[in-house]
Amino acid sequence: MESFFIRYRNLLVLLGILLVQVIGLAVQVRQTDTGHNTLDPRDGPGVRLIRLWANALVSPPEQLIQSSKLGAGGFWQNYIDLRHVRQQNQELQKTVDRLRLEQAALLEDARQGQRLQALMDFQQKYIYKTVAAQAIGSSGSDQSHVFNIDKGADSQLRPDMAVITADGIVGKIRDVFPHSAQILAVNDQTSGAGVILETTRIRGILRGNASGQLQVVHVQADNRIQPGENVLTAGGDLVFPRGLPVGVVEKVVRDPDHDSQVDVIVKPAAHLDRLDEVLVVTDTEPRFSTQDQKDLATSEALKGPEAAAINAQKKASEVMAEGLPNLKVPNLPPDQQPLLDSSNPNPVARPPQALHPDRFTPGATAGANSDVPADASPGTDSQSADKAKPSSTESVKAAQAGGKPHPPGAASTKPVSKPKTKPIQQAKPQNPAPPQAKPAQANPPDAKPQENP
Amino acid sequence: MAVLGANFRRDLEIRRYPALAYALAPLAALVLQAWLPRVLGRFAWFDLPLVITVYFALGRRSPIQGTLMGAAMGIFEDALTHHAIGINGIAKSVVGFIAASVGVRIDVENFTIRMLLVFLLSLLASVVYVFVYRVLLGLDLDWTWFSELFKAIGNSLIAMVLFPLLDRLQLHD
Repeated sequence: MESFFIRYRNLLVLLGILLVQVIGLAVQVRQTDTGHNTLDPRDGPGVRLIRLWANALVSPPEQLIQSSKLGAGGFWQNYIDLRHVRQQNQELQKTVDRLRLEQAALLEDARQGQRLQALMDFQQKYIYKTVAAQAIGSSGSDQSHVFNIDKGADSQLRPDMAVITADGIVGKIRDVFPHSAQILAVNDQTSGAGVILETTRIRGILRGNASGQLQVVHVQADNRIQPGENVLTAGGDLVFPRGLPVGVVEKVVRDPDHDSQVDVIVKPAAHLDRLDEVLVVTDTEPRFSTQDQKDLATSEALKGPEAAAINAQKKASEVMAEGLPNLKVPNLPPDQQPLLDSSNPNPVARPPQALHPDRFTPGATAGANSDVPADASPGTDSQSADKAKPSSTESVKAAQAGGKPHPPGAASTKPVSKPKTKPIQQAKPQNPAPPQAKPAQANPPDAKPQENP
Repeated sequence: MAVLGANFRRDLEIRRYPALAYALAPLAALVLQAWLPRVLGRFAWFDLPLVITVYFALGRRSPIQGTLMGAAMGIFEDALTHHAIGINGIAKSVVGFIAASVGVRIDVENFTIRMLLVFLLSLLASVVYVFVYRVLLGLDLDWTWFSELFKAIGNSLIAMVLFPLLDRLQLHD
């Protein structure tokens, strides 16, 4: 027996180590309600201890490398490479002044939006407080898109805080250590973020694929999704504030699992492969920050004379507008408004009403399609011939009397259709017009000739 | 003639290194594996802890030491990711064991054989990783074999440069 252990000790040690690790893995995996296995998102105490040790072992050298790299780079940039700095400073100052004016206008819009959102009982979160951090290392595995930053629990970081850059979203905090934190990037296969396509307003879930690309998965096929469209955070995942840039649509591919769905490949706005400095959103507030308020006051002060001039001009315009006659008749529907009204969608010229109607009165002349000879065969177009019979007789009589026949072009004047109007006139005493029918009764050009034939 | 037996030959060919090398080389491999992908981006096709495991397993020619070193490197590598701890540990334990077992039987002084071994063991580590992740744990994982192939090639190239440098640390009686 002893010789067995001695002879196979190598193999037994291997099997023992493998067995221990398999048991350790079994502890970390759990089964979901749907029957699929998944990793436990929250590490157990033993697992967390190992992660803590590994982080304590690797983070200090990484921070050393990063700080030495930053030190060398900073020495070059801050003390040696300072050409054109003064000119750039002046240009930046001008840009700041211009942006302050623009910001004031945007803040006014944002305030209005917030008031409307408050009315709709919708709480919109805005980034209020961030902590700048330096990326110091990664997982080292292309199957795990996580990286470490040099800020941790000592900077009040907590799991599930959003991590962004000026370009776009980066990920969220997965684990926090005393002096560092682990960030799960948005292009990891296990990550997820609610996003919305800016133009088409199509919502979806953002995650990474095996190649480390971002993709919005399980989107209903839609031809409107085109490359180049911006993708923004939707704000429904309780991690990322709404409206942050995510990237642009690169291409649309068919979902291999569902025929009617597509996956939208997104080019990330942030450089996820080579991150340097990131911002951790530590607090979100549904109102403006103190800094925003200060900027607003500053910009208000800066744009004071300009705003006063614009307001004076606006007031003068209003006073002039009040003095002008009102071109709209409130009682008339839009299609019967006076011709000068620009809002009239149907500006057709209407002839004035004749005091003593005769055969030249508009409506008394037959249309061009009814100018057929009296002996024309009714079989060719019996319907039109029947309709046009009285009018055509009149025009023939007029021609015999030496009157000038009506030109075909004049047939555009609206003929009065007696059979149509008569039931209305008969029904009028029986069925009084409802209030919404009032404008139709107040239409004198059409109504008068029918009431007084 | 007893001195020409297998045990004597094996003792002669076992390489010895200073204690600091055993500590610093794996640590440097772990740190660089975590730091270099930030510089190289998605072109970081290498696995330095695996290369170091294979090197020491081949040099020491002890399957137990190779297994233990592989397990330690793999577990620390896993701890830096957000995956379960032990997947890389199992893969590198197997690799360390096989590398040491092979090292007893073949001439590991030859650079070509070393590179070929590193290439094959890298692919073996990937196979074990996928097996554990998908079959043993039943987890979903998208996988591209091209990246594993590139990683195996990258490991071989790194081994070609790194092994002679590490050979200089060897202790000679």
